[in-house]
Amino acid sequence: MASSASGVGPRPIGERLRSGLLTTLLLLPAGIWYLVLLVAPLVIIIVFSFGTRAKNGGYAPAFVFDNYVRAFQKPEPFITSLQMATIGTILCLLVGLPLAYYLATRAGRYRGVLILLLVIPFWTSFLIRTYAWLLILGPDAGLAGFLESVTGAEQVQILGTPIAVMIGLVYNYLPLMVFPLYVTLERMDRTLVEASKDLGAGRWGTFRQVTLPIALPGLVTGSILVFIPMMGEYVIPQILGYGRTYLMGNALVTDFLEARNWPSGSARAVFLIVIMIVTLAGYVWFVNRGRKTREVSVL
Amino acid sequence: MSEDLETTLRRMTETKVNRRGFLYAAGLTGAAAAIAACSTGGGSSPAASTPASAAPATSDVPSSAPSAAAADSFPPAGEIEKELFMYNWSEYISLANIEAFKAKYGVTKFQYDIYDSNDVLLAKLQGGATGYDIAAPTAEYVPGMVEQGFVQKLDKSRLPNLANIDPKFKGLWWDPNDDYQIPKDFGTTGVLYRTTMIPTVPKSWKDFLELIKGPASGKTVFVDSMGDVFVFPLKMLGFSANSVDKAELDQARTVLLDVAPHLLALDSNKYGEKMANGEAALSLGWTGVLTQDMADTPDKGYVVPSEGSIFWLDTWVLLADAPHPNAAYAFLDFIHTPEIQAEETNYNNYGTPNDKAKPLVDPKVLADPAVFPPDEVFALLEGSKDTSANTQRTDIWEEFKQKLGG
Repeated sequence: MASSASGVGPRPIGERLRSGLLTTLLLLPAGIWYLVLLVAPLVIIIVFSFGTRAKNGGYAPAFVFDNYVRAFQKPEPFITSLQMATIGTILCLLVGLPLAYYLATRAGRYRGVLILLLVIPFWTSFLIRTYAWLLILGPDAGLAGFLESVTGAEQVQILGTPIAVMIGLVYNYLPLMVFPLYVTLERMDRTLVEASKDLGAGRWGTFRQVTLPIALPGLVTGSILVFIPMMGEYVIPQILGYGRTYLMGNALVTDFLEARNWPSGSARAVFLIVIMIVTLAGYVWFVNRGRKTREVSVL
Repeated sequence: MSEDLETTLRRMTETKVNRRGFLYAAGLTGAAAAIAACSTGGGSSPAASTPASAAPATSDVPSSAPSAAAADSFPPAGEIEKELFMYNWSEYISLANIEAFKAKYGVTKFQYDIYDSNDVLLAKLQGGATGYDIAAPTAEYVPGMVEQGFVQKLDKSRLPNLANIDPKFKGLWWDPNDDYQIPKDFGTTGVLYRTTMIPTVPKSWKDFLELIKGPASGKTVFVDSMGDVFVFPLKMLGFSANSVDKAELDQARTVLLDVAPHLLALDSNKYGEKMANGEAALSLGWTGVLTQDMADTPDKGYVVPSEGSIFWLDTWVLLADAPHPNAAYAFLDFIHTPEIQAEETNYNNYGTPNDKAKPLVDPKVLADPAVFPPDEVFALLEGSKDTSANTQRTDIWEEFKQKLGG
């Protein structure tokens, strides 16, 4: 313990260098990862977005704003994506919060098994899981056939509608909502709930003033993890939506692969990225602000 | 020591405080990565776009592997290398023929990698992929590949079997002197139907339009392919399927937006299945599914509408930096040997442009007008052109897709 006194003074330069080197080395893999797989592609997209379509498709260097003009003139797929992703995120939250709460507080000794059940579908390919919904929602043995026989309606069409797309979205991304919520709720101090009840709060009051604020970080993380991939979703509207729900991901495919107009596609991608960053920053700011005021009011 | 341990434990439990920050950070960085992923997704998503047709993942494996051989000097003509690397569509070469080729020329390694769209092939080449000897682009893509230097001029003296090719596939707009490509297979775009599910059999694009808006409303599928869908309104109105004329496209737009709410799906991968299981009664598509998904559908029918349509031609090309040019020449000539080509047709059920092979093709396949359209039908067909540079088409196409949801 006495030796600790000497540690208070400035450390030798060699030691500082070594620790600096160690930090650098430890951060290097992540740093390279982000540089190569995030920063570099992003820079390429931004550069491409000011170019023009090469004669045979692809990208030709230029500095024009036409692509952005076009991106602004075609906001419809973006708006559809925004609607679908917002509704999808809310549905994931409505399904995911009670589930996470149950897993964290009530599941008892079945918790491990239940979490495993939640994870098991992910051992199967995303495509196969999505194709499976064709059978579940389909006309023969699926939900549509069942509804036909129950209601007596001649034809119930679920596949190829936005409802089928929504079911696919919520199904595929639900676990990304449940796990962050579960992690925060599992760490919750249960005595706080008891204290809240002792102090006279009802079930709803306890949930609103104790449980929800504690779950908030998980809620924010879960919402973001669910919302972002939904905004870029391409496969689900193609398979379950029969290509009839035209989302941002589908618009990017049209630009990049069908028109082979990389600059136009890049501009729309940048447009999407900018709006999403603004939206998410606003969302996080809003949630944080709400929490601070509440803490103050509690004090 | 025990105190130290206790401190450590306490510190560990305090990470609860940090987790909140961690979760925010995780969420946001995950978000950023996801945005980047979806924004660059355009390039990689063809794999996802046609999941049924292939296992595109395998196409990534060898692109760099064989490139080492590319720098070696070419062996003299005639000395056939022991390897051949082909980049081709899935299930588009008979495995029996591969074996026959290997046995005949002593080739020990025949690498067959697959792509599922011309765009993937182009993207691969534009990305600098080397090491492949042979590829199979659709003809309208060949001029662009020539311009970009991806394919080499053929030495026709080394390809005597080119004499077997039907003259109607020679000297077409994409390669007027037939210097760069060898016709491989062809097919048509037309109307598929199930006779028991529609009151009248369509003969023309006008009949097709009436059916879509009437009895086949909600039971019609279009293939998800811009060039093919435009054939219907343009040909019906009496214009070229490859039109880029503003006024003509405006009229085509009206027709497309008119039928959009009546469609069941826009789908290139599973439209045959939808026809086979009765979900769809009518579709705008290609002949391939007739012998695949719809093989057991007795009431199926196919027609090239009377106003005309397009044909597509897939071709063999020799890539510019082919590491095994002699094996490649050997193969390109070998594949157009009549018996070998007949086996190809029996295997994939697409029309062969090889006249000498036709007598050796399975009579059932040969008699199928969907595979080998009679001359009077072929006369109605235009060769498809690459019109993807036209932004008016893209705008109409997007508007059409948005209108599908009603």
